Amino acid sequence: MKAGDLRRALRDALMIGALLWLAVTAAYVRDRNKDATQRALRHAQAAAELIAAGETPPTPTAAAAIVGAPVASKQHGFLRRRVAHTAAGPRPLGGPTAPAVDKLLYDAAGRFDKDGPFVAMLPDGSERAVAAVATARGPAIAITAGPEPRAPVPWLAVVGHLGLMLVLVGVGAVLGGRARGVGVAAGLATWAFPAYLAGGPGLALAILAVAAAAGWAHATGATDRAIAGVRAHKVALSFLAPAGVAMIVLVVVPFAVGLALGFYDHHHGRWTFVGLANFKRILTGDGHALSDPLNFWFILGVTLAWTFVNVILHVLFGTLFALILRQPWLKARGLWRVLLIVPWAVPNYITALIWKGMFAGEYGAVNSILSGLGLDRVSWFSSWATAFSANVATNTWLGFPFMMVVALGALESIPKELEEAAEVDGASSWQRFKEITLPHLKPALGPAIVLGSIWTFNMFNVIALVSGGKPGGSTDILVTDAYRWAFERGEQYGMAAALGTIIFLLLLGWTLIGRGLTKGDEEARP
Amino acid sequence: MSVRKPKLPVIVAVHALLAIGTMAVLYPVMLVVKKAFEPGRQFALSPSPIPKRVTLDHFRALLSARGSHGELAFLQHTISSLAVAIATTVVGIALSCTAAYALSRFRFPGRKAALTSFLVVQMFPASLLMIPLYVLLHELGLLNSLSGLVLVYSTTAIPFCVWTLKGYFDSLPRELFEAARVDGAGPIRIFWTIVLPLARPGIAVTALFSFMTAWNEFILASTFLTDEGKYTLPVMLKSSVGQFSADWGQFAAGALLTSLPVMALFYVVQKYLVGGLTAGAVKG
Repeated sequence: MKAGDLRRALRDALMIGALLWLAVTAAYVRDRNKDATQRALRHAQAAAELIAAGETPPTPTAAAAIVGAPVASKQHGFLRRRVAHTAAGPRPLGGPTAPAVDKLLYDAAGRFDKDGPFVAMLPDGSERAVAAVATARGPAIAITAGPEPRAPVPWLAVVGHLGLMLVLVGVGAVLGGRARGVGVAAGLATWAFPAYLAGGPGLALAILAVAAAAGWAHATGATDRAIAGVRAHKVALSFLAPAGVAMIVLVVVPFAVGLALGFYDHHHGRWTFVGLANFKRILTGDGHALSDPLNFWFILGVTLAWTFVNVILHVLFGTLFALILRQPWLKARGLWRVLLIVPWAVPNYITALIWKGMFAGEYGAVNSILSGLGLDRVSWFSSWATAFSANVATNTWLGFPFMMVVALGALESIPKELEEAAEVDGASSWQRFKEITLPHLKPALGPAIVLGSIWTFNMFNVIALVSGGKPGGSTDILVTDAYRWAFERGEQYGMAAALGTIIFLLLLGWTLIGRGLTKGDEEARP
Repeated sequence: MSVRKPKLPVIVAVHALLAIGTMAVLYPVMLVVKKAFEPGRQFALSPSPIPKRVTLDHFRALLSARGSHGELAFLQHTISSLAVAIATTVVGIALSCTAAYALSRFRFPGRKAALTSFLVVQMFPASLLMIPLYVLLHELGLLNSLSGLVLVYSTTAIPFCVWTLKGYFDSLPRELFEAARVDGAGPIRIFWTIVLPLARPGIAVTALFSFMTAWNEFILASTFLTDEGKYTLPVMLKSSVGQFSADWGQFAAGALLTSLPVMALFYVVQKYLVGGLTAGAVKG
């Protein structure tokens, strides 16, 4: 055995062990909080039942009373008072000298009148629970005094566990050979036990998998190589690290969380694992017919039509303007260019609101123009075709300058001699367009089209602000529908996340295809 | 597409066509300018883009409107927006300058993967991350706070800034770095005394762009901020033309005041923008 073996084994075990420690601690804290919450809820419920039975609750409570029905105040009819019957006798709730808990009792009584008996945590984060049960005189309400005591941290077990881990790793290193990897894996695997207690079998299995991988990496020397690599590129990596860490925290973690949330159901602040149920619900149309605007396939169809029509119009108008703007004999070219870029510079939520105003109502600007031309006024947001057209008009307006600028850039790269030579050789203007201009436009427009189609696919602002999905959600696209799942249909975050995952996969597929297509173009170029 | 000058009627026709097209393009903008100076709450009763009477009432009303705590609402929201946009810019630029330098000047394993991931992230906008970010900010207690918003905006800003700056750093002459290295300057010294000063125009462009991203953002701000006092300008403007009471006059005045600085900035950066966009997209 070499001294280096032991040092390396301990290094690997401690490095990975620290990560596992974080995971297990997080699970432990969560489990302990859940336990305290459940105890608080139990205590509140028990206390409320005792008051209802006319007894004094033994557990310390901040407030315990039977609260009477609201009665209009004599002096001020608009004030409604409730009377609390406490162990010390009846007293009116509220008033200038009332304790702060009166408001909680009053609110709880109001909630009882609306929802019936309930038990819940107070929403103020004070970790107190409130319970209300029915009695003949009104709800019996109990509020716990404060946070429930938490179980002490089992430090002895922690130290013992760390020792066991180090011993296993050390024994493996001392035996040498194949035992080195096994020792690291076994030492790390000890984390599975506390993980099982705090987080359940899922976490324990995950930790066993990590332990096995770490042992294997140690045995094959992968960790040694990785550390040598980091040492060799210390400077570069330290320059990259701040942005890398920020991206991991702000993008990779939310993204992973988002993928995971898709497998859960969210209901009243509670998450339940439901496997693929959300995806099944979405992909089977959630009980809606295919022609129903709430069916996923209908929305997907609208989204694809939306993206396709917009991108075509963007490219069409963008290229057309670019072709005009590049004529050398055009007067004031710079001025035209700047004026035509204006829509790109206007913040797009403002654009969307302006266009909404122009289409809105009988007397919006668009309808005024129509009637000025002797045409009928149109109620733009009451049929699918007109609402969709209004959205498309808005998005075309704000999107074509990007394509125009890209096309202008590409056209500038055409060598003048090439065109002159073609003209001297007697090529027609259509031939020149097809053989010279188009091949120069393609490589620049290709990536721009891929990028533009992704922007359009995700163009939340226009849909949400112009048509708002009207009529009846039929002009919604996938991203606005995902928003509705989360914020308008009772916080179904799980469904929204599942839909987000589907959107992500669609776009990923399209990007890969798009990159393939544009690469092909570049290779085909002479 | 002709190299030779075409006949006069063609030239006149093209100019006329272009003028009509440009008028059509600018029409919505002119309507807003008109509404901002025209009395009345309705949007556009007549299609003409020229106001019949001119007034500054909307600006006066907008600037003197008070929020629920007696503060000057527009000023308050402008300060919120400015704070968020500046903080996003500073965080974004500081982090992306160093990362772009590493990606531009060093070769290390994982460099290609890092570049690709910065590109992929740039392609999938914030609306996809909205749900997890909402849940995450909720857990962190950062909902309804401007710092939460800054954190989220930096996510959108950093990838784009890294790509643009990397392109810019790539274009700096290699000989300079070699010379500095021979003279004994370390990588940090080179970064600080050579790269940053030389790349100043590039940094300015990216800074302006990330400022605009934060200044214009609407969905996340309206979802994450619930306290009216903390609203950024876009959220405030949107709520001024709500479902039930729409004051288009004040909206137009606010829209004008909000977009003018952005449009001025845009005018400055637009020349560089395309290069950055296409360089990022094509080189992938």
